[in-house]
Amino acid sequence: MIQYKKLIKSFGTRTILKGIDLHIKAGEIVFILGTSGTGKSVLLKNTVGLMKPDSGEIWIDDENVTDFTEQEFLPVRKKCGMVFQHPALFDSLSIYENIAFGLRKHFSLPESEIKERVEQALSLVNLENVLAKRPGEISYGMQKRVSLARTVVLRPKVLLFDEPTTGLDPVTTNSVNSLIQNLSRKLNTTSMVVSHDMHCALKIADRIVVLDQGQIVEQGTPQELLRSQVPLVRDFLAEARDLL
Amino acid sequence: MSIKTVSANPFSALGHFLIVSFKDIRSFSQLVGATLVQLFAHLPRKKETFQQLYFVANGSLWTIAFCVTFASIVTILESSFHMKIVIQNDSMVPGFASVLILRELGSVVTALLLTSRVGAGMAAEIGSMKVTEQIDALKMLGINPVRFLVVPRLIASTIGCVILSIIANMVCILAAMIVADQFLGYSIGLFLTAMRRFVDFQDIIFASIKAFCFGIVIPLMSCYFGFNCKSGADGVGRATTQSVVFASVAIIVLDFILSYTFSYFY
Repeated sequence: MIQYKKLIKSFGTRTILKGIDLHIKAGEIVFILGTSGTGKSVLLKNTVGLMKPDSGEIWIDDENVTDFTEQEFLPVRKKCGMVFQHPALFDSLSIYENIAFGLRKHFSLPESEIKERVEQALSLVNLENVLAKRPGEISYGMQKRVSLARTVVLRPKVLLFDEPTTGLDPVTTNSVNSLIQNLSRKLNTTSMVVSHDMHCALKIADRIVVLDQGQIVEQGTPQELLRSQVPLVRDFLAEARDLL
Repeated sequence: MSIKTVSANPFSALGHFLIVSFKDIRSFSQLVGATLVQLFAHLPRKKETFQQLYFVANGSLWTIAFCVTFASIVTILESSFHMKIVIQNDSMVPGFASVLILRELGSVVTALLLTSRVGAGMAAEIGSMKVTEQIDALKMLGINPVRFLVVPRLIASTIGCVILSIIANMVCILAAMIVADQFLGYSIGLFLTAMRRFVDFQDIIFASIKAFCFGIVIPLMSCYFGFNCKSGADGVGRATTQSVVFASVAIIVLDFILSYTFSYFY
């Protein structure tokens, strides 16, 4: 589904991704864990062309997208939804308009169906009575959930989550994690989740990839990671155990 | 390359400066090219364009009218004062002031005020959108950020700048007329007669062309610095400052180029 081959990305003299080789299968939920600044978000942004790698290749659905132009990336972005670290909602639009924005752009749907899909997406993230509000009128946690709804409403085949639960309360965090799991299982969506949360990763991931200093230092199923001897993985596991 | 290395060697400092300048000019040119393509490839977003026009024109009107009034008063009083000292006669002041107002003051002061009010606002808004990943979100939703953000601002700023410049010229002339009548002893009739001798219709056309060009420069500079904003509040602040500084410098340089070009037509 998604494959990275020797992916390298630098900013100035600093190399963020140092030859990433990773293959993500269709329907898989992959958590990318690592400390801040290890290139997790950069990896996601390279996947959908928001950043360009210096070298290496990115393949999506047997198609090499590495050197795609903005125009060529349009169909790729249509099938890949991304939930950003920030809610990234458009301040000038209402919540309804924010969620309907992509639907109007990508599909020629009647307004009644757009409304239905918007309401459906909002109920998935446990939000009600916010349709007419502006992003500035709701809390940060609610904005993040709207951002999730905006992505989910397009029913993409691949979902990329950049720290989807940062800034959310524990109840919403659990519901977002369940949502990621349900979407993957019911709609066979492939999910890549960038996170610091080993606890969640152990619960819902099919595979966990640990990045350190721009390289993959460990990867495997949650059970395999529990047996890992890599110090960074042990640190993450210790923190997850503290939370239990 | 570290700052220490750059500052230690003047040649590497010059090289670094040239490389950075070249990169900036190249990416600014790319933005201009992309804006032109989007401007002519699609119909502009009407609602957003009108909102921007309201922000540019209506929001700046009173500030510009207020400032140019005082600039005009100072111009005519100073002209009179110095002419009296040098040639013991200020009879040419109404005509001279009118030419100065129409050829320079109205459009340049308007553009500089628009830069500080509208340009700074645009750079800060787009910079904030960049920092909070809204521009990436636009791309993910299949929206071209240049079409969505730059084109409406460009159209609004260009139209707004021309309208405001015409209004500013009218306000300036009116203020100069009142001051000439009240303080310098030139009646409104005398002022208008002197003005007709000095001012041609092409002065008004050239002033509008200048305003049109300034109206293009302001949003392009602001959007460029907004799009290239570094992360954090510091990054947004820096982008805003840079947009105001570079747009102001560009307006002054462009004013010189246009004035020099127009001088062949007088």
